[in-house]
Amino acid sequence: MIRYVLKRLAQSVVTLFIVVTTVFLLMRLLPVEGYLGERYDKLTMEEREAILRKMGLLDPWYVQIGGFYLKLVQGDLGVSTIYRKDIPVLEVIAPRVPYSVRFGLVATAFSLVAGLAMGVQMAKHKGRFWDRSWTVYVVLVNAVPSAVYLLFIQLYGTGFLHVPILFDKYKAASWFLPALSMSLGGIAGYAMWMRRFMVDELNRDYVKLARAKGMTNSAIMVKHVMRNAYVPMAQYLPSAILATVSGSIYIEYLYSIPGMGGLLVDVIQRQDNPMVQALVLIFSSVGILGLFLGDLLMAVFDPRIQFVKGEGAR
Amino acid sequence: MRKILVPLFILLATAGFASPSQEKTKSADYTLLYSGEVTTMNYMITGAEIEQAVAANAVDGLIEYDRYGIAKPSLAKSWTTSADGLVWTFSLKPGIKWVTWEGKEYAEVTAQDWVDSAKYIMTKANASAIGNVIFDIVKNGADYYNGKITDFSLVGVKAKDKYTLEYTLAKPVPYFLSMLTYTTFLPVNGRFLAEQGAKFGTTNKALLYCGAYLMSVFEPQSSRELVKNQAYWDRENVKIGRIIYKYNKEMSTLGPELFARGEISYTPIASSLVDSWLKDPAKKDLVRPSRTTAYTYFYALNFNPKFAAEYQPENWQVVVNNLSFRKSLYHALDRTAAMLTSEPYNPGRRLQTTVTPRNVNDAGGKDYVDMAELGTIAKTESFDKARALDYKARALKELAGKATFPVKIPMPYNASSTDWTNRAQVVEQQMEALLGKDYIDIIPISYPSTGFLGATRRPGYYAMQECNWGPDYADPETYTDPFFPGGSYNKPELAAGYAEANGKNRYENLAAAAKAEVSDMKKRYELFAKAEAFLIDQAFVIPYALGGGGYEASKLEPFTPPFAQFGISYLKFKGQIVRDKAYSTEEYLQLEAAWNKARQAAMEQAR
Amino acid sequence: MADDRTTDIPDADPALFRPATFDRDAGERAGYSDYSYWRSTLRLFFRNRVAIFLLVLLGTILAFTFLQPLLPNQRSATAINLDPATGRQFRNLPPGAEYWFGTNSIGQDLWARIWAGTRTSLLIGILVGIVEMALGVAFGAVWGYVRRADRVCTEIYNVLNNIPTTIVLMLLSYIMRPSFQTMVIAMCLAGWHGVARFVRNQIVIIRDREYNLASRCLGTPTRRIIQRNLLPYLVSVIMLQTAISIPGTIGWEVFLTYIGLGLPVSIPSLGNLVNEGRLIMMAPELRYQLIFPTIVVSIITVSFYVLGNAFSDASDPRNHV
Repeated sequence: MIRYVLKRLAQSVVTLFIVVTTVFLLMRLLPVEGYLGERYDKLTMEEREAILRKMGLLDPWYVQIGGFYLKLVQGDLGVSTIYRKDIPVLEVIAPRVPYSVRFGLVATAFSLVAGLAMGVQMAKHKGRFWDRSWTVYVVLVNAVPSAVYLLFIQLYGTGFLHVPILFDKYKAASWFLPALSMSLGGIAGYAMWMRRFMVDELNRDYVKLARAKGMTNSAIMVKHVMRNAYVPMAQYLPSAILATVSGSIYIEYLYSIPGMGGLLVDVIQRQDNPMVQALVLIFSSVGILGLFLGDLLMAVFDPRIQFVKGEGAR
Repeated sequence: MRKILVPLFILLATAGFASPSQEKTKSADYTLLYSGEVTTMNYMITGAEIEQAVAANAVDGLIEYDRYGIAKPSLAKSWTTSADGLVWTFSLKPGIKWVTWEGKEYAEVTAQDWVDSAKYIMTKANASAIGNVIFDIVKNGADYYNGKITDFSLVGVKAKDKYTLEYTLAKPVPYFLSMLTYTTFLPVNGRFLAEQGAKFGTTNKALLYCGAYLMSVFEPQSSRELVKNQAYWDRENVKIGRIIYKYNKEMSTLGPELFARGEISYTPIASSLVDSWLKDPAKKDLVRPSRTTAYTYFYALNFNPKFAAEYQPENWQVVVNNLSFRKSLYHALDRTAAMLTSEPYNPGRRLQTTVTPRNVNDAGGKDYVDMAELGTIAKTESFDKARALDYKARALKELAGKATFPVKIPMPYNASSTDWTNRAQVVEQQMEALLGKDYIDIIPISYPSTGFLGATRRPGYYAMQECNWGPDYADPETYTDPFFPGGSYNKPELAAGYAEANGKNRYENLAAAAKAEVSDMKKRYELFAKAEAFLIDQAFVIPYALGGGGYEASKLEPFTPPFAQFGISYLKFKGQIVRDKAYSTEEYLQLEAAWNKARQAAMEQAR
Repeated sequence: MADDRTTDIPDADPALFRPATFDRDAGERAGYSDYSYWRSTLRLFFRNRVAIFLLVLLGTILAFTFLQPLLPNQRSATAINLDPATGRQFRNLPPGAEYWFGTNSIGQDLWARIWAGTRTSLLIGILVGIVEMALGVAFGAVWGYVRRADRVCTEIYNVLNNIPTTIVLMLLSYIMRPSFQTMVIAMCLAGWHGVARFVRNQIVIIRDREYNLASRCLGTPTRRIIQRNLLPYLVSVIMLQTAISIPGTIGWEVFLTYIGLGLPVSIPSLGNLVNEGRLIMMAPELRYQLIFPTIVVSIITVSFYVLGNAFSDASDPRNHV
């Protein structure tokens, strides 16, 4: 097992290298004038060159990417060239992570608790009142585009509840609505998948046997069905938690939360290469870790799954 | 009895003196939303307007403009020009202080500060985006920038003594005074700059202030706060105590709602919402028009077509050189219909028939736009169905056998701007309906905003395109830059049939003659007016509109900011007052009429 | 030994009774079942009344989006309609007799735009869905089952997944300019590996079950195991995933338009229409520009979700009793 973990880690480093280098090359395909800003027509040739040189863009590509990796092993993620000129990337990112993570964790926790409970109830009462009612909720959340209902909640919800429209870190009341909005989609998602997996399990033979043996429905649910249903769900859990670091772009834009959502889109559109490379590095590490933990978690929940070559496996 | 009466009387008298002036200076705080965050506040390298706006309030320059557009002394108390117009000497006010973001005194403002900032801007390694504004006009500036000379004392910026600053220009520049309000001519404290190094301007703490406001809070992508600088030399004129900016990417959607709830003092109102606000009795007095700016928009006809072969560039090259064809397009564009896409109420407010806007330049009591042949063009609407069809008939006759009809006209637009996308569709359908689909086939082509100009206008991948230009200083010369050889617009110098004796195009000769005239301002402007009239009369471009406009809900009193059509003066908050309720359209129009009258009077006085 | 006792039964016709002989082959013959998987699936599916209703609704909408331009008196989705009184654009007209859904801010007929937009968005969704499914299932099955491929495939997946889709979309938009094809290609490129991972995880769960071990012992080739053992088991989840990906693509299109990488408004699509409408949510007389596109998006999404769920319930063989 340890060997497997180490092997996966080594693989991850290689992956990260490939990803960051690919992103670096892709960004170089974008037009040069994106770096020069709105005064492009009024700049002379020498000025344009001077600006590009200061950003390090006139060096050959291998020098640029080599420099990035060299500084990386020394722990330096680089300096932002456009988004916030001359400020180290870490200094730009660091204050924003706590907001996204806090909101994300609260929203994830809430969606998990509410969503799983909803899914279980829907599966238990399949075809009857609760199933249909919650299905209406799931359907509505997925049907109406989030851009629309989030704005709707913000404009009418804040008026109704008399809380400020914009997020203010000093006003406790302004934390509630964004967190709730963030969890709505998650609740629907978890509820629906939980219901599906549980319904699949309820058709199994061992469940029929347990019923024949006289086990109560709730005992079957808890002791057998849910444990098996967790397995496919587990693959998403670590990714979901780690994804909180990237924030939710709609909600952060709407409520002015100074988080990470939209940061990546912003820096890509502004062509701030050091920030893009650093962010891609961070998000990729988080993503790869999430995938790996998801696999581990699946193996933990279901002993039949083996990732290492065991007996009888090809 | 008298023992009580006299002190009582004195008390009452002084009390009476105290209150009125305090009431006049009372102004509420100003809260607003913003969606574009600054990347740096180092005003010596940045060319972005939102970043220069910080400097507008934080640092004062040599002169400033008052609300009527008259240049007044700011940090310079007086100035003189040499006879040949090459040497400008400024005498500074003593006792002006640099303070830190907390208001603590740091040093005194001296003439050396301007030399230090000029040196920083003209040092290539600093990669300033505004360098050429100064190194092109100051003596030896370009050479120092390009490294041909390394001794900065040879450059024409000198501190003669502590309070005397001298600029030596490379050639006479009659509009030099107006350039002083741009960020290239702002001072910086050399010692502080050296201490901060690369960190200068990265946060509010890495700046020194000698202007009307200090930035007390700077949280990027969150909020910003400006507070009145108590050590400011002109504090009595600074009325607003605090200016609070809140960052929000959705300000166009949320702004009107926040304003209606009283949480902010200003918001632009999208044209689609103006209708519903004006119909709502509670909100109709909250909306007022916004001022237009001196940005000019025009449709350029390309004389150097390089677009894809499927659109037949050779065919376009033939037709664009035919005057009747160009004039048929010029008269066929229904500019009001096009303007309705962005300004549905009173579209005429933003339309103009000249390239240079009104109220930007004037000499000898006359506005530039009314001079020479330009005057008739300024007063005549270009959209004329009969004339358009008449020119169409002529063009068909003249080009029979030389060009194929319908002519394909690729017209690029930026797909990320809904306004522009809508306008492209309106213009296409309107012009094709008027002139006939057998005559022209306008093809709107959508481009992403990434590298937009580099993919369309600059390499010539268009036949007709909506372009814009902003002035850099108060002189008509700035509006000739796009069309003069070397510009990256439609290259009218390549138009066939206009070559004169010296081998150059007539427009170029007219403009060059105007540029050469540096002593008689009236004559200079008249020559420029002649050149511009030629440009429009020969339909090299189709003038369209002014920038700005639109509607806003605002508690800020209109017509109080400094009035200048270029530079950063109009971004200053000094002198402005925030009321407790918004201004309605009626109030705005009244104030506008009053302002126009007062401005005429002030300009008379200044002459 | 049968003896002839038909004479014991009164009125019996002897021709009806024949002695049964022992036939070895007949004894070996197995039972006959006319169970057909797909027939059962469809039968179960059509028993669900809600599903039928939505299927009909969706079918009608789909048919209508293609038939609408052929009906008489229909206007073009991009033609600007002029107000006969002023000769200028007929802006923001509320829904009425002449323009059933009203007009937008430059006078284009919203009824025509909504149908054109639905056509565009559905086409994008279906095309992207099919391509994603094809690529995703193929890749995911191989990834999940063939252990040796696990390492390489995980590598490929990680690389593809971690390249931000914004960069890909921006580059494609810049190189190919915003258009229908650009959107389809960009979305396919960005979405297929998600499906692959999902399929791979499902396969990982079942690849070591006893029946698969048995097949391997019997020497069944990998391709046949994937085709016959694994995929049918996954039909229900794959069907659900396909059904959901179509409204998912529409939602993604709305998001892309929100960040500025979508189709230009000159090509109407549900993403454009919803984003346009969003801006005027607070203006009561213009709300129809938001409500109509949102209703259409909602109906499509609901239909696909419910149909997907119904079909995947029906296709689960354990429900075929």
